[in-house]
Amino acid sequence: MDIAEVRDRAGPREFNAGDDMPEEYREAATRMIQFHANSEIMGAYLERPFVRQAPSLDRKLAFSAKVQDEIGHGQLLYRAAESLGVKTRDEMLDELANGEGKFLNCFHYPMDSWAETPMIAFFVDGAAMRRQATLKSSSWEPYAHAMDKVCFEEGFHVKHGEDILRELMNGSRKEQRMVQDAFDEWWPRIVQFFGPTDDDSTHHGFAEEVGLKQMTNDQLRSAFLNAYVPKAEQYGLEIPEYPRIEERDDGTYEVRESDLDWDEFFAIAKNDYEPGVGQIDGRARTQEAVEWVRGVLDEREQAAGTTAAAAD
Amino acid sequence: MAATADLAFEDLDDDEREAVRTLLFRLADDEYVTAERYTEWQVRAPTLESDLALANIAQDELGHARLWYDLLEDFGSEERELVWERPPEAWHHATLAELPYEEGGWADAVLRSYLYDVAEDLRLAAVEGSTYTRLRDRVETVENEEDYHLEHAQNWLERLVDADAGHDRVQAALDRLFPYALTLFAPADPEVEARIDELGLRDRTLSELRRDWLDRVVPYLESLGLDVPDPGDTDLPSAVGRDGEHTDHWNDLHEEFTRTYRDLDRQGTVRIMPDPDDT
Repeated sequence: MDIAEVRDRAGPREFNAGDDMPEEYREAATRMIQFHANSEIMGAYLERPFVRQAPSLDRKLAFSAKVQDEIGHGQLLYRAAESLGVKTRDEMLDELANGEGKFLNCFHYPMDSWAETPMIAFFVDGAAMRRQATLKSSSWEPYAHAMDKVCFEEGFHVKHGEDILRELMNGSRKEQRMVQDAFDEWWPRIVQFFGPTDDDSTHHGFAEEVGLKQMTNDQLRSAFLNAYVPKAEQYGLEIPEYPRIEERDDGTYEVRESDLDWDEFFAIAKNDYEPGVGQIDGRARTQEAVEWVRGVLDEREQAAGTTAAAAD
Repeated sequence: MAATADLAFEDLDDDEREAVRTLLFRLADDEYVTAERYTEWQVRAPTLESDLALANIAQDELGHARLWYDLLEDFGSEERELVWERPPEAWHHATLAELPYEEGGWADAVLRSYLYDVAEDLRLAAVEGSTYTRLRDRVETVENEEDYHLEHAQNWLERLVDADAGHDRVQAALDRLFPYALTLFAPADPEVEARIDELGLRDRTLSELRRDWLDRVVPYLESLGLDVPDPGDTDLPSAVGRDGEHTDHWNDLHEEFTRTYRDLDRQGTVRIMPDPDDT
């Protein structure tokens, strides 16, 4: 299939491993799905300490289940990415460990206290839900199919995140203040979640033409703000003054892009931003420490392969 | 009292209540602390599949701890007192559960799980016919999940010992963990243990359980080509846990998991899942 035909046929769940896709499509889809899979892993990396630090048994169980779900999503998405035949899962995990693998901006920042957990568990996951819901119509069928399960589970995560936010904002003055501080710090990052405005987005045009993506950054961000600014206010959070967000006549919101730190955003996009680098290396170190186990598994697999070959 | 009697909380005098509480705390604390340690492997296990499997087991154990703490609430305590405000020296898990893993210590994780899960299997079998009905009624739910845990641990052990690198690490873990595993059968207070047996709360004594455990664990580990320390020559570690004496690692762990509760000046917990009695 050539690119012209791909553009022509591009529709929801149109292509799968049975189709002979051009390299440009396979690479663009791999880049997108690998980014998504990496984000699941690095999000889980950031949230895992809060399984331990949750302040009740039920929250601990819910948090542990959530981290487990994220790893499951990573597994599912790496499989969807592998189906494009560009990279194996091991290659993608190695790239994540050595700092080449890219992932969401928000997961490059550290998270230190429980009061910060709704920033990811409610706002970032809520933003992710917006995007993921549209990806159920991606033209790469294995990706769209993975989104069915991911979106179903993410729905519970966002509800749980919202519940933590509600509990904290209904708590003591101290708790409310801690959440507001966390919100002031995280809000600009959350607004940047959808990336720069469409004019500045590097990969957008092609991905949309071939149906990998369904909505633009601007459309997604606008939809997110429409839903989440009122929710934040409903729980008693004050929206920080910057970045300036203006309400249009039709009730939708627009962000003053120049109020955001794009140098930081693009440093993150290149994996050059501390503490993101520390988080990448931290995960890499724990993976290096169990390399011996993967060695044992490989050795067994090879031995089994030899036996099978001898039996033939 | 006849061992076939059905005992409810209201039927018990203070001494008998102490016996039930001791038994329940041991079940709950072992599960809780074991799970706390397992969750350290989330996002750190050797493969995504093993990550999910151990996380799943941790989830089960936490759920079981929740079931047992819930029974302790019958005695007038709330979750805040049972978990979040209970001082470290009032916890009664075996010290096997609280030891930290070394970085990359996957052999420790699966071996510890095996040693613990065999003990758990025997211990649950011994309370299947418990005279304390609230306990007896919940055993089957827990047992159904525990089968998979043992299978998981054995499956991993068999794979690891197959390669030299794996075998040596499992052996090192066994040498380190074996004395601590024996703390699973240490009495909290011999007098209370006798009361537990007399009341028919369980149908095997701790020393019988220890013997049953050795009868299963030793031949199995030897069949994997491992040298099992002689239990007769093995001294218990200085901290056994059951009596409230713990290693320093426990204080650190306790500090970490109660951190948010303390930082937020919480004075209670919120239930977000249905009460076990309603499910």
